[in-house]
Amino acid sequence: MSDKENIHISSYKEHVSTWLALILLTFMTVFVSVFGAELRTLSVATAMIIATVKATAVGYYFMHLKYDPKIYKIMMATVLGLFVFFMLMITLDYITR
Amino acid sequence: MTVDTLPYTTFFKAKKGIMSWLFTLDHKRVALLYLYSIMTFFLVGASLGILMRLELFHPGKDIVEPHTYNQIFTLHGVIMIFLFIIPSIPAVFGNFFLPLLLGTDDVAFPKLNLFSFWLYVIGALFALGTLVLGDGPADTGWTFYAPYSVRTGTNVTMSVVAAFVLGFSSILTGLNFIVTIHRLRTPGMGFNQMPLFAWSLYATSWIQLLATPVIGITLLMIVAERVFGVGLFDPSIGGDPVLYQHMFWIYSHPAVYIMALPAMGIVSEIIPTFAQRTIFGYKAIAYSSMAIAFIGYFVWGHHMFTSGMSGPAAYIFSILTFLVAIPTSIKVFNWLATLYKGSINIETPLLFALAFIFNFLIGGLTGLVNGALAADIHLHDTYFVVGHFHYVMFGGTGFAFFGALHYWFPKIWGKMYNKKVANTAFATLLIGFNILYFPMIILGIMGMPRRYYDYLPEFTFWNQISTVGSWITVSSLIVLIVNLFVAANKGKKAPDNPWDGITLEWQTKSPPPLENFDKMPKIPEGGPYNYPNAKSSS
Amino acid sequence: MDHTFHLPNSGHNFDAKASKMGMWLFLYTELLLFGGLFLVYMVYRELNSEAFLLASFKLNVWMGTFNTVLLITSSMTIAMSITALQKGNKILSIRLMWITILAALGFLIVKYFEWGAKFDHGLFPGMDHYQQLPTGERLYFYLYFFMTGLHGLHVIVGAVFIMFVIRGVKKGSVTPERYSLSENAGLYWHLVDLIWIYLFPLFYLIH
Repeated sequence: MSDKENIHISSYKEHVSTWLALILLTFMTVFVSVFGAELRTLSVATAMIIATVKATAVGYYFMHLKYDPKIYKIMMATVLGLFVFFMLMITLDYITR
Repeated sequence: MTVDTLPYTTFFKAKKGIMSWLFTLDHKRVALLYLYSIMTFFLVGASLGILMRLELFHPGKDIVEPHTYNQIFTLHGVIMIFLFIIPSIPAVFGNFFLPLLLGTDDVAFPKLNLFSFWLYVIGALFALGTLVLGDGPADTGWTFYAPYSVRTGTNVTMSVVAAFVLGFSSILTGLNFIVTIHRLRTPGMGFNQMPLFAWSLYATSWIQLLATPVIGITLLMIVAERVFGVGLFDPSIGGDPVLYQHMFWIYSHPAVYIMALPAMGIVSEIIPTFAQRTIFGYKAIAYSSMAIAFIGYFVWGHHMFTSGMSGPAAYIFSILTFLVAIPTSIKVFNWLATLYKGSINIETPLLFALAFIFNFLIGGLTGLVNGALAADIHLHDTYFVVGHFHYVMFGGTGFAFFGALHYWFPKIWGKMYNKKVANTAFATLLIGFNILYFPMIILGIMGMPRRYYDYLPEFTFWNQISTVGSWITVSSLIVLIVNLFVAANKGKKAPDNPWDGITLEWQTKSPPPLENFDKMPKIPEGGPYNYPNAKSSS
Repeated sequence: MDHTFHLPNSGHNFDAKASKMGMWLFLYTELLLFGGLFLVYMVYRELNSEAFLLASFKLNVWMGTFNTVLLITSSMTIAMSITALQKGNKILSIRLMWITILAALGFLIVKYFEWGAKFDHGLFPGMDHYQQLPTGERLYFYLYFFMTGLHGLHVIVGAVFIMFVIRGVKKGSVTPERYSLSENAGLYWHLVDLIWIYLFPLFYLIH
């Protein structure tokens, strides 16, 4: 069938640059956490934001989501949306008790 | 209609020997393996139910000790939910008919399919193993609520491991179906040309896939808590039992739709065939399945209104719960509209489908009563809830399961059952079922709490009625099953298409050959339910 | 009668797209499996934020950072090995997969020393020191062992999976035209990385 078309081969260069970005972000998050102790609440938020940026990079480039058919992005968004909803509702329960 | 007389090899005879069954890669054989095991566990679960009803015939202790009673209702719940109702329609009829309805010869991953059957068997062995190993079956109720499930001396660990393994089996079945629907539809069949049963399985599979892991990990935490003696949910060590309930119901409420959605799919198949009329509102039914699956994730909190959840969370969960009723009623309206001005052919499967609508209506409306905050405070943990979910699960899914069995029986075995016996069994089952469970709703409103082996004397009358109902129910079930069993062996040969159905499974022979189709199946012009003789179309 | 007709959309055909989709669906279940643990973590963190903070100082940030770098690097090498296979360079592909496995091994060794140190201090659930901790810190260590333990299990499974791919490439069942097994192993390995990306800040960096 038409399965052969549109196979995207990621380049080595793309992998290396993704890797570089991930390593930089890792050191950034460690730095903020270890040396930014007085910015405590800020550091939790930044750590999670940086982690999410890293996760997106892994998903987008290493896991090939960027080049995959749209259905994979839709499914991933649904799964993450569900999980966020779980978090929101449970948080709501605990902060309003 | 021409009956093809050319000799061919049915999937029953394509391969020989017990090994060809136990390690088969044919979806039809896997489905039958599931059918036999599921029916076995259904009978075990039903016997436990009968035992409970006998104990409840008189107030006070009759035949079992209180502790044994707790174990019986737990085992009844675990068997009926994890071994019967969750796998029932998807694993049996989904496995058998999904590829046929899509015009293909198997599911996307035949080996994985076999593997999930064996996981099911292993899980079943664990569940039944609690009878002989350790200190007896769990006595926690099928919900395994912490902290009691962490502290009780009974063999909770093994029951929980059983639920975990069965959950994994259910995940793999769901995964298989989603990929099958995406990849193996016959050329020319888009999503909107799929039969509605396929749609409902698609929605179900997404629930199986995305909800089950959450309970998997929760049950693992219970096991770890029991094994290490320290853990997360016991309040004496700073844990929060309400969190366990959140985690449990994040799975177990969507699981209710794992049970209900395929049943609705069955009804959507049966009704147009026996009305010989285009289904009314194809897209509305198809998308409402997805809507139910989706909204079903957002309502778990309605099981916890009395557990100490916060007020604002309870309001939101209550509102969301009412939203689920909308897509469900859309389906009911569409089914009734399909029957309107159809040329209705009253046969056993249609009777079961109509009974489904009747029972599910009662089950659904009592569900809304439970979902209303104020009413739930009174009705929570009473027999009202027991009545409600038996109406949904047995009255709904159970009836649809037997309806499907009667609908597709001639396709699976190529034989026809005795219709008179089948209709009689149906009628007594419907009557017995309502005598069995309607008194529970009344008892719940009167205030009888659930899960006790004993009750106050004023509840005696309705309890005795209910117990009598359980005898009628079980006798009819026996008649129904024996009738089908006899027919499978000695029944008259059925034509390939006894009900004049036009979905793809009726285009092949009965029983189907190993490869399902020996010529390219033809998609009906103008949609999957466009009956040529239909008097009107929507 | 011999069966001569074959459906074009048979379930017994090799279908790379189907197996990839199946793998992704499986990854979603894995995400939600860990997701459940993250939910529990979130609640107890909210209820015991001070205790979690104190307990997190007992972990070694630098070991965690080292492991993060290892996993990210291995994630790159496995992605590169797929590129190499697609371009037809089998030897490079196998070498890159071995590097990935070595990184997995390195990760587990570091983890072994980290866990070992905690055992020596009696911090494993059920041990003496653990039992004397305040409840919040006990919940922290319980979750720490549960989550990193489950993650470690996934590291092992992922490494074994990659070994199967190496065998497949050597035997010729995984080829530049038919590489979906290696792609799936890659996806699985990235998931292991993905989860660690969240575990690392949640346990080591909440200073």
